Amino acid sequence: MIDLFNETSLLALIILPLLGVVLLMLIPSAYKDVVRYSALSISTIVSLIALLVYLSFDHSIQGYQFLYTYSWLDIPGVWGEGSGAISLDLGIDGIAALMVLLTGIVMFTGTIVSWSIKEDLKDFFILYFLLLSGVFGVFVSLDMFFFFFFYELSVLPMYLLIGKWGSSSKFPTFARSKEYSAMKLTLVLVAGSVLIWVAIIAIFIQANLGTFNILAIEKVISENLSSDFQKIAFPLLLIGFGILAGLWPFHTWSPDGHVSAPTAVSMVHAGVLMKLGAFGIIRIGMLLLPEGAQFWMPLLIVLGAVNVIYGAISAMGQTDLKYVIGYSSVSHMGYVLMGIATLHYLGLTGAVLQMFSHGVMTALFFAVVGMIYERTHTRDSLVLQGLAKKMTVTTILFGIAGLTSLGLPGLSGFVAELLIFMGIFQSYGFGGIILGAFAVLGAAITAIYILRLIAKSFFGPISTQWEDLTDSNLRERFAAGILVLTILLIGLWPYPFVEVIKHGVDPILSGILGAI
Amino acid sequence: MDLFQINNLIWMLPLICVFAFLSIGLFSKFLPSEGAIISIFSIGFAFILFIFVLIDFISGDLAAIHSSFTWIDLGEWTISWGLLIDRISIVMIGLITFVAFLVQIYSVGYMKGDSRFGWYFAVHSLFASAMMLLVLSDNLLLLYFAWELVGLGSYLLIGFWYEKTSAAEAAKKAFVTTRIGDVGLLIGIIILFKATGTFHISSIIHAAQEGGISNEVIFWSSFLIFLGAMGKSAQFPLHVWLPDAMEGPTPVSALIHAATMVAAGIYLVGRMFPLFELGPGILVIISIVGIVTFILAGAIALVMTDIKRVLAYSTISHLGLMMLSLGSFGVPAAFFHLVLHGFSKALLFLGAGSVMHGMHDQTEVELMGGLRKKMPITSLTFLVGSLSLAGIVPLSGFFSKDEILISIWEYNSWFLPITLFGVFLSSLYMIRLYCLIFLSTARSEYAEKAHESPRTMTYPLIILSILALFSGLLAFPFPFTGWEGFAAFIDDHHKFHMIPWLTVVSILVAFSGAFLGWVIYGSRRIVINNISSPLKFLYRLVFRKFLFDEIYSWIANKIVFTFSRWITIFDRVIVNDTGIDGVGNSTKKSADILKYFQSGYLYNYSLVMVVGLFLMAIAWWLVE
Repeated sequence: MIDLFNETSLLALIILPLLGVVLLMLIPSAYKDVVRYSALSISTIVSLIALLVYLSFDHSIQGYQFLYTYSWLDIPGVWGEGSGAISLDLGIDGIAALMVLLTGIVMFTGTIVSWSIKEDLKDFFILYFLLLSGVFGVFVSLDMFFFFFFYELSVLPMYLLIGKWGSSSKFPTFARSKEYSAMKLTLVLVAGSVLIWVAIIAIFIQANLGTFNILAIEKVISENLSSDFQKIAFPLLLIGFGILAGLWPFHTWSPDGHVSAPTAVSMVHAGVLMKLGAFGIIRIGMLLLPEGAQFWMPLLIVLGAVNVIYGAISAMGQTDLKYVIGYSSVSHMGYVLMGIATLHYLGLTGAVLQMFSHGVMTALFFAVVGMIYERTHTRDSLVLQGLAKKMTVTTILFGIAGLTSLGLPGLSGFVAELLIFMGIFQSYGFGGIILGAFAVLGAAITAIYILRLIAKSFFGPISTQWEDLTDSNLRERFAAGILVLTILLIGLWPYPFVEVIKHGVDPILSGILGAI
Repeated sequence: MDLFQINNLIWMLPLICVFAFLSIGLFSKFLPSEGAIISIFSIGFAFILFIFVLIDFISGDLAAIHSSFTWIDLGEWTISWGLLIDRISIVMIGLITFVAFLVQIYSVGYMKGDSRFGWYFAVHSLFASAMMLLVLSDNLLLLYFAWELVGLGSYLLIGFWYEKTSAAEAAKKAFVTTRIGDVGLLIGIIILFKATGTFHISSIIHAAQEGGISNEVIFWSSFLIFLGAMGKSAQFPLHVWLPDAMEGPTPVSALIHAATMVAAGIYLVGRMFPLFELGPGILVIISIVGIVTFILAGAIALVMTDIKRVLAYSTISHLGLMMLSLGSFGVPAAFFHLVLHGFSKALLFLGAGSVMHGMHDQTEVELMGGLRKKMPITSLTFLVGSLSLAGIVPLSGFFSKDEILISIWEYNSWFLPITLFGVFLSSLYMIRLYCLIFLSTARSEYAEKAHESPRTMTYPLIILSILALFSGLLAFPFPFTGWEGFAAFIDDHHKFHMIPWLTVVSILVAFSGAFLGWVIYGSRRIVINNISSPLKFLYRLVFRKFLFDEIYSWIANKIVFTFSRWITIFDRVIVNDTGIDGVGNSTKKSADILKYFQSGYLYNYSLVMVVGLFLMAIAWWLVE
């Protein structure tokens, strides 16, 4: 039984959402409750498997775990006998294990908050599960071909999800239609994919093994992937994946996309999808191109610092709740990028923890904004006023998300950011101290815009139009409660998470530092 | 490991209040008195625990009690969390638990009928717990952890009446202003970590004393850490949040001004003092910041007409005095003043709360007057607090101030004349405040109908006033008991001593200030307008609080927020519409042009072929 679980659980994470898609297709869309409960049960099963995978992941054993292989396409005779060219190779290290857990949490809570979608609920869940199948696929793939395959699978459903279920926004000076946001998001991300695909094929050719398998290629880095090649190929991956991680100046798809997307999609989008970019940099860029990473990281850390400060200042100038959070995501992903760029044990550990922490936090943010938007039909912080009086619990939930994002100790953001700060100060000598100071300053700017927002929208006298608002219901509180508990758990007792991350971070860093 | 060993038991101090916070926060509706009883019981328990720990500490010859566990193990680096009871932290714990206990009892009467009665006590517990964790922590990271939680507590309490825009703004201002200082604090802590590989305070200090840290690093890290202390302890120019903090319920002010929050900065500098004294020039910076704060805030307190604002500026001023003392090697004196000032200030704020309670929440002193008869207990206790803060012999404030003056004379004698001027100011404004509230006759309807407060409010006043009267005696060594005076308790090297002429001068200065205050505001022999009119410009400047608020809000609105709006527009117009959409549009445009090359009509293609052939022929002919 345990063996069976070890061998198939990762496959199940990809297949079960797809089976769910098929199942939902068979249900007539008029039976809304049947659709809802089937979606919920699929989500529950998949999330439980994700949780079990995380819990049974043993960080004391080195190497990838839960391995699974299925040879998909054989090209015999070209690269020699017996090398399957493309095979579905699955397996996780500590970093991927944590990301699988994150995806499970966001998937489950996202399903719950989507309960109240009125229009074409069935089609929504079909696309939602398709998207999540892709996300799981990226995190567990050890084969570059399938990595890319799932990567695309997770980007494309966004187009329909935003274009159909999203909302357009109008401001005095400009407007953003949901169609525009959906189109921009897809095109920009696909442009990034092109760069990634070029780099993946280049690595495939250069490695000259006839396989896309990451672990196989890793063994021949020193023989086949020359230093010059790495330095040329790495920026392709850096920008390609960086676009998805919200790297400045390619970030503008992200706030517009966040704002236009429906609640659950915003949660997945900011909570998990942006992490795919950072994960790609780590998994393919740093693992297979260590010297390239070494060469280009100084650029990334500067761009990451720009992300942090620029994102925070942009967020300060916004009045729409979702735009503020969208730009704060840009700012917080900057911390992830900076942490990665330190090439330091502390920084990289912090970066992965920040990926997780930001994923949970931002999911909470969007869930809460969704609750408010459903009741008030506006997200304008100038119109919302004094909500705390009527929506006390909702306010507290928003406050917890806000305090996490400004790095309050005891909540997850603090631990992650602290490790990143420590990593930045430890690397790049005096430059690191300056960049680190900027990073810490970013957290203070976050405090300004978050508290301003809270003071404006939630505090103060309640305006008469909101006198009849109802507070969040039990279903919503349950979803938010899961996220809050996760935030508290990491914030107060991060050690178990750090140990798991260490499992993934150690081999990558020793690869890079050994390559010098 | 025995759970009931004293070094494990000290974890109970912060944890019991966390328990109170959680249980009230989650289940307040189901608890008797909305959970207030749990909160009071917890803090009372913490106070009793403090007494046990104190007994153990003293019977253990003042040896530090320590307990720690590993929080994150990063292989090469380990971050552990530990609590430490030593001479400084035991004093702080005593102050915190005692004042918080009294304030909570007082609050039962004061907050009666408030719609969020339970939540008030929940946050109180959180606040006290965070402050205890702060003073107990043995490493800088845990200290920062608690430091920020203290900030959160103050945010929630100052913004307790969040329906008022002013309260919401004040809460935000407190958090953001102290957060600006905290940027420095965190950077300073991480720089020290980089230099020593540990957050552990005693290890860092040890490394610094052994010469393991370069002077540059010591200077910058100390300076940055001091920035954090400036924010929390409301030193100029980061003091602006404290006067606004009175937007919270008045007992909260008593807590913030006396025992928690503002005490944190003084504590931090005192705790890190061995490091600071190694940093070239750091103590001079601390002294200058301290004395500037002492004088300017004292001057503002003199002209404010809102009872809580006078007290707030008086706190800022006295915190400046403590910083000055720290900058003059007077660590024990600073802590002594912190404790005694804490008693007096808690007394005064609770007294102010009692006055407001009787006056229908009026805070303007112009509307008061003549309350001495109507509120006898409040009046008497308030007088004790005022005289103590004014430094009138033999009340407690006199003794701590005297020790500070000795330190200044011995290490920073240049500052002595200005300090004495500050002492003069401080006794002047305290007596002014007392006279305006309690003497002469009622100046408004509210004052005529004022009444004394209930017992839950007056008893804490009486207890605190007894302390304000007699706790100064702790300065002296008691024969036969082993007590060698407060200074020696904090630091063995500081034996109790006095400088007679300085004591006489300080008594004279304080008395003259008090006398002048009485002459002007009590007996009204001098009319204040005669003095203030020639100094109109100065008066206005002081009354506008040296324009700090105006300048800051100008910077915030005209520079920071304008800049952020520009960035927003830049992001939309340049980065997105020009950069990202531009790429899309140019692709579309080039496609529009290029599509004509793919018309699909045969005659187009043959025309191009013919023209092409013709051109090639000409080209061939030219080349030939």
